[in-house]
Amino acid sequence: MTAALRMLVLLALRSIVSHKAKSLIVGGILAFGTFLLVLGTALLDSVEKAMADSITGTMVGHLQLYSAKAKDPLSFFGGPGGGGGSEELGSIPDFSAVRAAVERIPNVRAVVPMGRDAAMAVGGNEMDLSLEALRQAVKGGDAGAIRRAAAKVRQLAGFLQGEYKNLAGLSRDREKADRTLADLERANSDAFWADFSADPERALEFLDTRVAGVEGAEQTLFLNYIGTDLDAFQRNFGRFRIVKGTMVPAGHRGFLLNQSFLDERVKNRVARRLDKMRRDLHERGMTIASSKSLQEQVAANARQYGHVLYELGPDDAPKLESELRRLLPDCTGELPRLLECFLTLDDANFEARYDFFYRVVAPMIRLFRVDAGDTLTLRAFTRSGYTRAVNVKVWGTFTFDGLENSMLAGGYNLVDIMSFRDLFGLMTPERRRELESIRAQVGVADVGREDAENALFGSGGALVGEAETGRVEIAAPAPAHPAARAAQDEDRTFDRADLDKGVVVHAAVVLENPAKLYPTMAAVTKAVEPLGLKTVDWRQAAGIVGQLILLIKAVLYGAIVIIFLVALVIINNSMLMATMDRIPEIGTMRAIGAQRRFVLGMYLLETTVLGALASAAGAGLAAIAVALAHRIGIPAWTDTLLFLFGGPRLHPVLGAAQVVTAVVLIAIVSIAATWYPARVATRIAPVTAMQAGE
Amino acid sequence: MSAIVELQGVEKIYPLGKLQVHALRGVDLAIGQGEFTSVAGPSGSGKTTLLNLVGCVDVPTKGTVIVDGRSTASLGDRALTDLRLHRLGFIFQTFNLVAVLDVFQNVEFPLLLKGGLTRKDRAARVDAILDAVGLTGQRRQRPSELSGGQRQRVAVARALVTSPHLVLADEPTANLDSATGRTIVDLMHEMNKKQGTTFIFSTHDARVMERADRVVRIEDGLVVGNGREVPEGSAA
Repeated sequence: MTAALRMLVLLALRSIVSHKAKSLIVGGILAFGTFLLVLGTALLDSVEKAMADSITGTMVGHLQLYSAKAKDPLSFFGGPGGGGGSEELGSIPDFSAVRAAVERIPNVRAVVPMGRDAAMAVGGNEMDLSLEALRQAVKGGDAGAIRRAAAKVRQLAGFLQGEYKNLAGLSRDREKADRTLADLERANSDAFWADFSADPERALEFLDTRVAGVEGAEQTLFLNYIGTDLDAFQRNFGRFRIVKGTMVPAGHRGFLLNQSFLDERVKNRVARRLDKMRRDLHERGMTIASSKSLQEQVAANARQYGHVLYELGPDDAPKLESELRRLLPDCTGELPRLLECFLTLDDANFEARYDFFYRVVAPMIRLFRVDAGDTLTLRAFTRSGYTRAVNVKVWGTFTFDGLENSMLAGGYNLVDIMSFRDLFGLMTPERRRELESIRAQVGVADVGREDAENALFGSGGALVGEAETGRVEIAAPAPAHPAARAAQDEDRTFDRADLDKGVVVHAAVVLENPAKLYPTMAAVTKAVEPLGLKTVDWRQAAGIVGQLILLIKAVLYGAIVIIFLVALVIINNSMLMATMDRIPEIGTMRAIGAQRRFVLGMYLLETTVLGALASAAGAGLAAIAVALAHRIGIPAWTDTLLFLFGGPRLHPVLGAAQVVTAVVLIAIVSIAATWYPARVATRIAPVTAMQAGE
Repeated sequence: MSAIVELQGVEKIYPLGKLQVHALRGVDLAIGQGEFTSVAGPSGSGKTTLLNLVGCVDVPTKGTVIVDGRSTASLGDRALTDLRLHRLGFIFQTFNLVAVLDVFQNVEFPLLLKGGLTRKDRAARVDAILDAVGLTGQRRQRPSELSGGQRQRVAVARALVTSPHLVLADEPTANLDSATGRTIVDLMHEMNKKQGTTFIFSTHDARVMERADRVVRIEDGLVVGNGREVPEGSAA
């Protein structure tokens, strides 16, 4: 038996060698198929693993729980329901019950409460901020502070006057333009500032109403955020890291800005463009000379030098002017012109100018409009349309390791769950207590419907109210002075019970061992169904990004199926033609006593040997390609790829499972493609041996 | 002498489009064990058809063919293949060696199909038969490296290596020069005498026929002579 098998193998090998054209065609197709399959699956599996790590390790967790009555599917990164916090997800009324039910399940490490929403943080333009500083200085009566603030306002008025002179000629409303120009001239005049101390309120009113608007619209930040138990978030999402400032202390309200959001949205626009250009030059090998987009960025920066100019303090402006004159001896003109020259970059001067910007210019301006230590006034619409405002301190900035430059990972900031509940319009124990206190103060009493008329019009004038149970939307009381309100909000603390007992929108489940995701998911689903919740895995919870890998896989597998079908037809035809050539040989074998099964075995073995050699070659080439890609790293050239790759470069790895799967699939395709020619060969009659030559 | 081959009223008809070609029209023949028999006749007379039926590579349309005591009509493909493997040997006009195997492997091939022998035993038998046909020095050569005569010697060795009861040879000398052809017939004759193997071979060559113990003459699908005489005008 072994000897016969050896003979079959020998026949297969010799046949492969002697039928070179057929072997090359069939072997080439099989090797290509294996190469594609091994390389494709290695890349996709690596992407999937990196993406899973990005999604589960940053904010989604391995499972998400939310109301079974939700109108939209949960989607962190966009999806059919809109995503990004705009989905209608309902609520989880008592988070503590969910935690108790889920945390006892084996393999569950933690359940983290969550809710996502968006808010605006409105900030004034540079003139607004300078005027506010002047107003505070006047209120404080500090002569030195008034002088510094006044100098800044006057300098801004001077810069605006210079700018406006150029623009006024283009204005359709010449009269209005002349009036504005006259206002700016006045704000920049010695006479105006000489009289300032005589009647500062009147002067401030003039500046507020006639000058502040010239700079342009106020700057509004739109922030997406996750309201969560910040301590639990930090403990359970391994990529989370504080970059600046500190973590929000336990039991305190607070906001953490995503460093990526800060860099991409909040940072000074000129600095932001310089950073982006540098990344393009260094990481993507672009040049300003050859890239239209880089040239456009250079032009935009040179045009918008005002983002630097208006930020300068009265002491810094002359210093910078002097530094720039030294750096740019050929550039003549005043500071605006010097800044324009400075920001006119090319490949030769970029590095030196970039370095100069961060060494000399950056310390003179506010690089970030909001930063750690500031207080944000967040305004959000509740689900029923009320606007709510909360002052919240920015304790620090954070990032997700490896995803520092990803806007997808930078899409959400973090806020404590209590502030989130306030903004989202969810009833909190604290809010309930506050409401009860207000009711007590104003003498609110519950009055039955039958007594309502008397209560309103006839018996004592008591104000009638009706308390709701469960989720209640509360209109925010009009805030007092922002600073006072900020202090009030920031000082509020909460205890563990407040955090646990309240309402949340959804919850992340973090597992000990992600390999047991689906058995654990089944157990979690069983546990939360009685609480009216449903469970989704990280892929579904991520929304469109989570599904992306499935789409790419479907495309790859579709392509491979098509290639294999084509291969099947080509191999089948090649083998059939080879069979026609081998009729005398097979007829002779049959005549001298070879059974049909011997011929079948000979064919299948021949293809199996060819398939094994080809798939070894294909897998070997793929392994080399994967090893090279692992060493060099495949660059993530888009933000989505950055997130999918879990960092700036993907370092794919090849697993034994991918090779085994490919080899088995190739063997199946080979055998399927050979089956028909082999059956034809078994039907070659032995009598043909008598009819043909060698 | 008991018959190793018996044909009783054998007819063979090949369909050719709408026509029917009667290759054999009722042949009765018996060939005894150890005979060295030649089948002679002009082209298209039915010689090869007769050998195909006796060689169990074809079955009769009518009549009975008994080979080594078994009626071929009653056997399925697997049994016929077994019969060929264990009882018959074939020598083809065009040698029909397996091109991808060397001389030793070509001769060893039927032994491997039969099974039951150790590698050592197989090697001993192959070497002995190669020695007998004078090809010891060529055992590792491929068929393409051999002359026509050497190839036919390999074919003879392959036919005889399983010690068959009956060897069928279809025009074994047709593609050889006369001297080589004679050598091959000598070799077959020697094997017949030494081992008692029955040989049935078709030929046009009168000098080959002369070596036969018996000549079966066929014309138009009928046996017209069945004796020692060499038919006139049969010389190639």
